[in-house]
Amino acid sequence: MSDDALQYDAIVIGAGHNGLVAAGYLAKAGKSVVVLDGAKAVGGAAQTAEISPDYQVSTAAHLISGFPRQVEKDLKLSKHGLVWATNDMVTVALDRDGKHIVLSSDRKSEVATIKAHASQDGDAWKAFEARTAKYVKLLKPFLEKRMPDVSEDGATKAAAMLALRLEKMGPLDLRAFLQLVPSSVAALLDRSLEGDLIKGALSLEATLGAAAGPHTPGTAFSYVYKKTQEAIGQGMGYPVGGTGSLTEALASAAEALGARIRLESPVREILVEEGRTTGVRLADGTVFEAPIVLSSVDPKTTCLDLVGARHFETPMVNHVSRIKMRGATAKINLALEGLPTFENFSDREYGGRLLIAPDMGTVERSFTAAKRGELTLEPVMEAVIPSYHDPRLAPMGHHVMSIIVPNVPFDVEGGWDVQKEPFVKRVIDTISDYAPDLSDKIIAGEVLTPPELEERFGWGNRGWHQGNMSFDQLLAFRPVPGMANYEAGVRGLYLCGVGTHPGGGLTGLPGKLSAEAALAAEKVS
Amino acid sequence: MTEEVTDQSAPEEGLDVSRDSPLNGPGVAPDPAWFEQAADEPPYARHVLTTPLHLEAADESRTNSWAEWAGYTVAQVYTSIEQEYDALRTRAGLSDISPLTKIRLSGREVVTCLDRLLTRPVGDLESNQSVRAVLCDGHGHVITEGVLFRLGDEEFRLVLRSSHMDWLMQSALGFDVQLEDVSGTIAGLSLAGPMSDNVLALAGLEKPATLAKHHGAWVELGGMPVYLSRTGMMGGREYELWCDPADASIVWRRLLNVGQAVGLRPIGAAVRDIARLENGVALEDVDYQSAFTARDPSEALSPYDLCLGGCVDLDRTVFNGQSALRKIAASGSTNALVGFELDLADAAGVGPICNGDKQAGRITSHAWSPMLQCTIALGLVEASALGASDGFSIKTHAGENIPAKLTKRPFLGSS
Ligand SMILES: Cc1cc2nc3c(=O)[nH]c(=O)nc-3n(C[C@H](O)[C@H](O)[C@H](O)COP(=O)(O)OP(=O)(O)OC[C@H]3O[C@@H](n4cnc5c(N)ncnc54)[C@H](O)[C@@H]3O)c2cc1C
Repeated sequence: MSDDALQYDAIVIGAGHNGLVAAGYLAKAGKSVVVLDGAKAVGGAAQTAEISPDYQVSTAAHLISGFPRQVEKDLKLSKHGLVWATNDMVTVALDRDGKHIVLSSDRKSEVATIKAHASQDGDAWKAFEARTAKYVKLLKPFLEKRMPDVSEDGATKAAAMLALRLEKMGPLDLRAFLQLVPSSVAALLDRSLEGDLIKGALSLEATLGAAAGPHTPGTAFSYVYKKTQEAIGQGMGYPVGGTGSLTEALASAAEALGARIRLESPVREILVEEGRTTGVRLADGTVFEAPIVLSSVDPKTTCLDLVGARHFETPMVNHVSRIKMRGATAKINLALEGLPTFENFSDREYGGRLLIAPDMGTVERSFTAAKRGELTLEPVMEAVIPSYHDPRLAPMGHHVMSIIVPNVPFDVEGGWDVQKEPFVKRVIDTISDYAPDLSDKIIAGEVLTPPELEERFGWGNRGWHQGNMSFDQLLAFRPVPGMANYEAGVRGLYLCGVGTHPGGGLTGLPGKLSAEAALAAEKVS
Repeated sequence: MTEEVTDQSAPEEGLDVSRDSPLNGPGVAPDPAWFEQAADEPPYARHVLTTPLHLEAADESRTNSWAEWAGYTVAQVYTSIEQEYDALRTRAGLSDISPLTKIRLSGREVVTCLDRLLTRPVGDLESNQSVRAVLCDGHGHVITEGVLFRLGDEEFRLVLRSSHMDWLMQSALGFDVQLEDVSGTIAGLSLAGPMSDNVLALAGLEKPATLAKHHGAWVELGGMPVYLSRTGMMGGREYELWCDPADASIVWRRLLNVGQAVGLRPIGAAVRDIARLENGVALEDVDYQSAFTARDPSEALSPYDLCLGGCVDLDRTVFNGQSALRKIAASGSTNALVGFELDLADAAGVGPICNGDKQAGRITSHAWSPMLQCTIALGLVEASALGASDGFSIKTHAGENIPAKLTKRPFLGSS
């Protein structure tokens, strides 16, 4: 395909990881594909960039835990430069007295660290894990395939599918599951465990990136859902070169399969004629034509801004305009001239995912503060030292640290100009409680407040996933009832971003399943 | 008598209310609070509303018989049904239609917005022309129907029997349109009957005779601006006059004064209802349930069920109900709202409509038509029964089976 062609079999809007996965699968099926993105680089929220010369870091998303092996194989990503720096990171719940809880595949030591905080939690943890595993088994098949459309007879089909699997669980597990669905993760954890630290860490996991606290109804299900996504992936980790390497490999693979990627090409309008999409128009007026358009832009923007309300009946506009997209986080990336010293840390802890969430109350308070537009006094966070497994990110002996701080208001009281410095100081001070020499090691840093994330990645105040990952917006309800099969209500138009089933994080599954939906629909017609 | 009342209302504890009552106690100073004006009450706190013509109607009423219409009080009967009906069908009748909901829609994308909202496109409508408007929900069920006036390139007025403002607001989302419920700022009068033109002429208007059906025009009546339209739901020669509420009484008075010469009378809701039935018009909440108020999905009806298929244009850009209506159009509608003539003086309390031995539907409204000298009715029947060779019948409360004659709507030929 020549470089200036304007006609394709399919157009993909957005060169984030989902758009690239979709493009890869479409190209693999023999379609001529163009990927259009408004940004200067591919990757969306999965990009690697410099903090300062020679210090590289994943700018936004920093960990990958749900990327399926299948996608990697199908698109031959290893041939295109994807090498995992690690994919068996441990999770460390930091303790001020050095009695860290380390969650890992090493069962014995894991239980020992949990028991150190509450002796009865040893058995309780095993039971909790066993039950979680059952739920994961129940849900996993649903996350790997397309969902039926619940708007019509699909509803009965979906219900039947679920009922069948629920029935197989047995009455006790079934009861527990039904109780779980509306529960808060706090209720779930209080029912199961004693130790404050383990509950704090797990509740942070369940709510990270969402506008929710441990006591928010539905977060118990979010926890199970996250664990299910992890079960589909290949362990927690990141590639050599940061998350940007994943999207670069995806881009290279798609191009090798014949797709064309055109950057700095923001799409202004999705063209519709007689209920069918015919292509897109860029902001500069260029028209690209194709009978199939996949959009990884969030469903609300895709339908209401790019397509336009006039092409949907009122009930659908209603559904789409009410998609809940909330939650703001900040990202802090630090360049360090050496490893900060954490008490009782060995290799695997330094290379692990560090969670600061001493108890559920602290996590809840940070959410409550964010709701009021305030910054909490005791920030909770997820931090990684990616240079530990991937030394080339920083000069010899130096490191980078990547920190996600959830529950940070988009509009903060007093304004970010005033609040940014005290905010960063508070975050650094909090980590220093565990690693006192941290501030001495910082040589450069980058702080991305929610407004800055909005400017760079279009995220900002709308959560991480183009739609909250709560039960009412998952599975056959994602993004809205009637669009769960990726068809966006206009013939030929599909949604392929993280706003669609199975949702959030770097999984590539929305991209894969939507491409399959588009190909399947073409075969039928 | 006072004692009796006191006895009955005195609480059992023996507390003597009457002594505390300021009305009974001699020499008790009047409480200044009695003379204070009641606090301003917001409009939505009122449940009994009066129209701008209420005092005029009260003045004309000889029966004190009132009806409720969308929360408003309107005259049910002014003098007698016979007299009013006679005036309407042989001379002219004047009635108050102010309770109708009027929605003003305007803006750059008002046509695209209405095209999506209604079951037929409106782009071809000329200024000062009106058209029957049917609103469907996403299942292709009728929410309500009304009349849409085009007042300018980018200005329309939708007249409905009930507001459904929430649906309209939702349907405006994403369009450059402004939506406003202007019901309170427009009074409505209906002038109908064969002598309507004469009444208008006597009031100083010559032009109306040239006004085509469904068209409207601004006119001056006694110095007051009035939007006159050849619209209405009673059939025959009829006009609607829309004006400022402050002018409504004067317009009403003036028409009645000059109209006396040709026998114009005020007519109440009772006769309006007979007339709309003679004209074959079905009403929301009477003959069919709005899609939003239907208790059971099977109660909600499509435009095809209501025999409004003529108002549906399927082959065009997206409109509310389109995909569902396509399916219904392909598979055929299940119900039909049809007209019946019954050889019966009063159809109150009659049983279901039968087709042969089988129950096939029910009467939704009925009235004795003095013009046709029979009882006419609208009935909702299974569409499949329409093709059957057996005739329809109805069981009266006396247990008697009488034939129900399927009749074309409107019952009365229109002029
Ligand atoms: C701060 C932060 C931290 C995160 N951390 C993690 C993490 O550690 N692990 C994890 O798994 N997930 C994480 N996430 C979530 C994860 O990044 C997202 O779920 C994922 O990136 C979504 O991928 P996507 O391809 O669907 O969308 P995106 O990555 O957002 O891609 C969408 C693309 O569309 C382009 N675009 C938008 N509008 C237009 C237009 N009109 N025309 C053309 N192009 C357009 C954008 O430029 C962008 O490149 C994080 C998110 C944030 C914000």
